[in-house]
This record gives sequence, structure tokens and C-alpha cells, in this order.
Amino acid sequence: MGEFGRGIWEGLRLIFGGDAEVWRIVLLSLWVSGMALLFSMLSGIPLGAWIALSRFPGRRLLIAMVYTGMGLPPVVVGLFVYLMLSRSGPAGILGWLFTPWAMMLAQAIIAFPLVMGLTLSAVKGINPRLRPQLVSLGATPRQATLTLLKEARMGVIVAVIAGMGGIISEVGAVMMVGGNIEGHTRVMTTAIVLETRQGQYSHAIALSFILLSIAFVLNLALLRLQGRSLD
Amino acid sequence: MALLKIKGLTKRFGGLTALSELNLEVVEGSIHGLIGPNGAGKTTVLNVVTGFSPPTAGIVTFHEQDITGKRPHEVARLGLVRTFQQATLFHSFTVLVNVIVGCHLHSQIGFLEALLNTPSHQRKERAIQEKCLGILKFLGLEGQAQELAANLPHGHQRALGLAIALASEPRLLLLDEPVTGMNPEETARMMELIQRVRQIGVTILLVEHDMKAVMGLCDSITVLNFGRKIAEGSPQEVREDPVVIEAYLGTGGHAA
Ligand SMILES: Nc1ncnc2c1ncn2[C@@H]1O[C@H](COP(=O)(O)OP(=O)(O)OP(=O)(O)O)[C@@H](O)[C@H]1O
Ligand SMILES: [Mg+2]
Repeated sequence: MGEFGRGIWEGLRLIFGGDAEVWRIVLLSLWVSGMALLFSMLSGIPLGAWIALSRFPGRRLLIAMVYTGMGLPPVVVGLFVYLMLSRSGPAGILGWLFTPWAMMLAQAIIAFPLVMGLTLSAVKGINPRLRPQLVSLGATPRQATLTLLKEARMGVIVAVIAGMGGIISEVGAVMMVGGNIEGHTRVMTTAIVLETRQGQYSHAIALSFILLSIAFVLNLALLRLQGRSLD
Repeated sequence: MALLKIKGLTKRFGGLTALSELNLEVVEGSIHGLIGPNGAGKTTVLNVVTGFSPPTAGIVTFHEQDITGKRPHEVARLGLVRTFQQATLFHSFTVLVNVIVGCHLHSQIGFLEALLNTPSHQRKERAIQEKCLGILKFLGLEGQAQELAANLPHGHQRALGLAIALASEPRLLLLDEPVTGMNPEETARMMELIQRVRQIGVTILLVEHDMKAVMGLCDSITVLNFGRKIAEGSPQEVREDPVVIEAYLGTGGHAA
């Protein structure tokens, strides 16, 4: 109990005392996961909507593949990105391995099918007659798709939350491709693993608190959005 | 003057001729009925006129402008707006927002402007909101403005469909079976609304099975059977036309 209580106390002190190392780790985590999420949203939302709204041969197979991708184990993604970026790999020339870029790439790959798949199922659930009605009212194809996304906004917001949840707390892939290098690629989750292993509970607890708070605030912000109509 | 002119319109689906050399004119300011037994080709006329389905042959002009082969949203932007057989609404939005969505398809609000919520954007939004409330009032829906569309009774949902169509400022409304599936009360109410819409200067082409509604509303009526026009004239003339009676009796239908 003594150790636990001391850890919590120390953790709070680190957070509110503005410990430089702790905050650098937090900012890097937000930067990496934020960029990965942004990328997966920019690609996953339009693609998910497009698959949901169009008809082409092989669509069912593609949908099955997207749904399978939603459960990609992070370590498998990590392994794949590692092999791609390793010096002898096909993208080795980029020199990204053990940099934040590699971590963004891995997390974007994890979040992308989540965002795309949940957007897809949300848009697929909309009344199929809505689109022709919108077009008959003068909506261009692009306007019609955007308007359908509004009707599906709850589902799209859930997709974004799931995408963020899937990567901000993810440890396997960032560990493998980032390497947990102090001051360079150390993020909250990898730091928590390391500090705990080394018995530095106060740092681990401080970071856990922040990780929890970030997840909480993000969810709250996104949930508030669904109350406001997005027009 | 004829607002909509259809000349020599033919539509084939493989071997099936759904429309055969149809000529039809809708006079500006009128309510024109298009009736006929099941499978006569009524919906096909609407699909071709609104650009959802290209004609095999023939020309469609709207306000002297050739619109044959134009895409659906281009046709709509000229003022030729169609509603579908089933009411299609945004169930997750309020009644008012449903109409606003219809308005937004035509407003000149830029994405950046909306994102930054500039004063000029706020002004435009207020103007749109006013306009949409006006439309709801016009159709007697102002009391339900803040209700979720999904919670409206059937008759009101169809009225909301009409409101959304009006938000895009049509000159010609194509209504596909607006009273089908309604009880007599709802039907009478919808007929009154359609009359009201015509009174503000919107021309109407009405496809409908309900003979009482058609006879009560229309200035003139075209009757189709197997894709051909078999009669045309005032409700009185059409009702007494032996060819029409024959066509309806032949399919077990009922001309009033
Ligand atoms: N996309 C299509 N492909 C093949 N045949 C079609 C297609 N659309 C309509 N048809 C056929 O064209 C004919 C006319 O159909 P249409 O839907 O226009 O009839 P309608 O007068 O609207 O009938 P209803 O009163 O039942 O709505 C029918 O025989 C129908 O089976
Ligand atoms: Mg029909």
C-alpha cells in the first residue's frame, strides 16, 4: 500500500509540476496518434462511404476483408511495417524505422480499417431511397454523399472514437517500429511498460492518469458533437 | 403555355416496350394527372423526364429548353423536382432540419465560411431558417418543427416530404403516388396541401392510383396503358371514356 500511495502522489506531482520528460512523452503520443487518426479519417471515411453506396463486382468480398481488417492484431501490423521499413525492406530507403513516422504509419494502418468499416456499416444502414430523393432535389453526387454522411453522423463519430481508442492505448506496434527510444520515440504506452518493468511506478502512474484523461476527454468531445447537427 | 413537353418518348427495357411514342404537355400553373393500370409506364415517365433513366427515343423540353439526357441533379436545378412513392426523410433530424437540408442543397454557402461561422454565414443561416419555418407554416407543420422526423405520423411524414421538395423552389413538382397508403382523412388533407402548392404558382404532374384524389385535383388527365396514351382530357371526359373504362375493367382496377 505504501508503495502504491507514494506512486500516486508522485504521479500527481509529476503531472502538475510540469515534469518536462512526462509532458514530452504525452505530446509525442498525441502527435503520433493524432496524425495517424487524421490520416485514417481522411481515407477511411470517404472510402467507407463509397463502398457502402456503390455497386461493383467483388464488393461483398471487399466488405468482408474490411471487417476482418478491423480486428488486425497491432503486433502483426508492427511486424509488417517493420519488415517494410527495415533497411533491406521495400521501403527501407525512407529511413523511417525507429522514428515517429514509422509509428504513425503503423497506427494509421491499425485505425484505417476500424474507421472505414464502422463508417461503411453506418452508411449502409441508411435508407437506400434517400440518395435518389436527394439527387431529385438537386444534390450533386458529392453533395448527396456528404448529406448522407450527416444522416449517418452518429455512426461516423463512433467510427472515429473507435479508431482513436484503438491506437492511443496501443503498445505492440509502436514498440516494434518505434523502439521506445528516450526523447525520440517514447510514447505513453511504451513508457508505462518500461517504467513499470524498472519499478519506476510514479512515472508509470502519472502517464496512466494522463492516458485515461485523454481518452475520457476525447470521448466526451466527440459525444458532444453528436448533439450538434453538423450543418 | 406548356411548361413541360414530351415528344415521341419511347423507352425499351430489352424486349419490353415500357413507353411507346408518348406525347404529353403539362400546362404552366395546372395540375396534370397521369394515371393508368399497374405497369402502364407512369413511373417510367417520371424516371425518364428527371434523367434517372435515358430514353430510347424522344425529346423532353422544360421551359423551351431541351433537357433530354441531362443528369438528375441538373434537371432538378432547373426547377423540375420529383418526390418518390415512399416518403424518404432524415429520420435522425428534426422536422425543421429536414427542410433546412433541402434548402442547403441550393444555398451558396461555402465550406470554409460554414466552418468559420462568419457573420455573413450566420446571416444566411438565419435567412434559411426563416424560409424553412415559413414553408412548414404554409403546410401546417410548424407545430412539429422541433420533433424528430421519425416520430411523425405517416400523413405528416408525407407532408414533410412535400415541404422538403418546396425548399428547393420547384417550378414543376412531379409527385409519385402522394396519397397512396393514406386513410381518407389524410388523403383529404394532402389533396388540400397540393391545391395550396399550386396556388403559389407551382405546376404539378401527379401520378396517382386514388381516383377520387385524381378526379378532385386535376385540371387535365392523361391515361396510359401498356406504355401508350389511350385518352386525355378533363376529369369528366376521361371518366366517361369507354376506352379508359375498358382498360381499368380489363385489369380488375376501378375507375371511379
Ligand atoms: N428498370 C426496369 N427494367 C426492366 N423493366 C422495367 C424497369 N422499370 C420498369 N419496367 C417495366 O416497365 C413497365 C412499366 O413500369 P412502371 O414502373 O413505369 O409502371 P407504373 O405505371 O409506374 O406502375 P405502378 O402503378 O405499378 O407503379 C412494367 O412492365 C415494368 O415491369
Ligand atoms: Mg409506379
